[in-house]
Amino acid sequence: MSENQLCFDDVSVGDALPETNAAPSELQIFFFSAASNNGHRIHYDLPYAKTEGLPNILVQGPLQSAILAKMLTDWVGPSGRLIRIAIQNRGNAFPNEKLTYGGVVVGKREEDDQLLVDCEIFERNESGAVLMPGTATVSLRRRSGS
Amino acid sequence: MEEALVTPEAEAMIGKEVARQTGVVYPKEAQRFAAAVGDLNPLYFDEETARAEGYRGVIAPPMFLPQVLQGVTPLDSLREDGVPLQGGSDIPLRAERLMAGGEEYEFLSPLYPGDTITAQTRIEDIKEKSGRSGRFVLITRETLYTNQDDVVVARGRFSIIAR
Repeated sequence: MSENQLCFDDVSVGDALPETNAAPSELQIFFFSAASNNGHRIHYDLPYAKTEGLPNILVQGPLQSAILAKMLTDWVGPSGRLIRIAIQNRGNAFPNEKLTYGGVVVGKREEDDQLLVDCEIFERNESGAVLMPGTATVSLRRRSGS
Repeated sequence: MEEALVTPEAEAMIGKEVARQTGVVYPKEAQRFAAAVGDLNPLYFDEETARAEGYRGVIAPPMFLPQVLQGVTPLDSLREDGVPLQGGSDIPLRAERLMAGGEEYEFLSPLYPGDTITAQTRIEDIKEKSGRSGRFVLITRETLYTNQDDVVVARGRFSIIAR
């Protein structure tokens, strides 16, 4: 286990998770459609998206939730695990928009020999609108020797 | 009184299994998914790191799970908007427009390349509600994901709104 691995002992209720940013480009959105076998035209066909009244193509919901999950797995490091994630699709994200991912620790508990940390999480856009609120639970190890 | 949005036929589906799908976790598909997310986590790409953390090899990203069940889509099965014809609701409702609601995954065991995953989905609930913008139907499905060793690897809960 590496020295800078986050441990259960390091986390307190009220802690903010380190915020991360992403700005999925048209290219990334296209690659995610390909990687997820998603032919939905609102994600790559701008003239078509306009016929549905959209101002631009949309970032896929599953891409947004996967980036949110990445924020969590990056935070907990290789020894931690994502145990549960619940999200809601609340608003549209558009290409190259700067999106911020973060959250706050709302609980710590031990259950079935697991050390669990409960969090509230979010994805928000530059104008501060929360596009994807959610909750998550991660498991962490205890610091060795403690 | 207005006609209920939830038909008796729909009501009879509550609690019933509505889908059973099987799929294999293909390593390159899992890594392409991770790469497209911009997530080059060594647990998904580097055997040594994964083994050092107690896994028996690289794992697939947890959010890749629903992709495992994706089938092969013939072009003539696509609607005008590029979504497969069967992508809509299989529930007879007096409300046609579908909107994404929420989703929840509980990951109980790691997902490994080569795993064969079976997903059993049942309708947990279909309920008419009313909100600021009128009446709608909340449909909740629950999916149990099991691997080839009958280990439950995950549970999913998905809600959609029909109005």
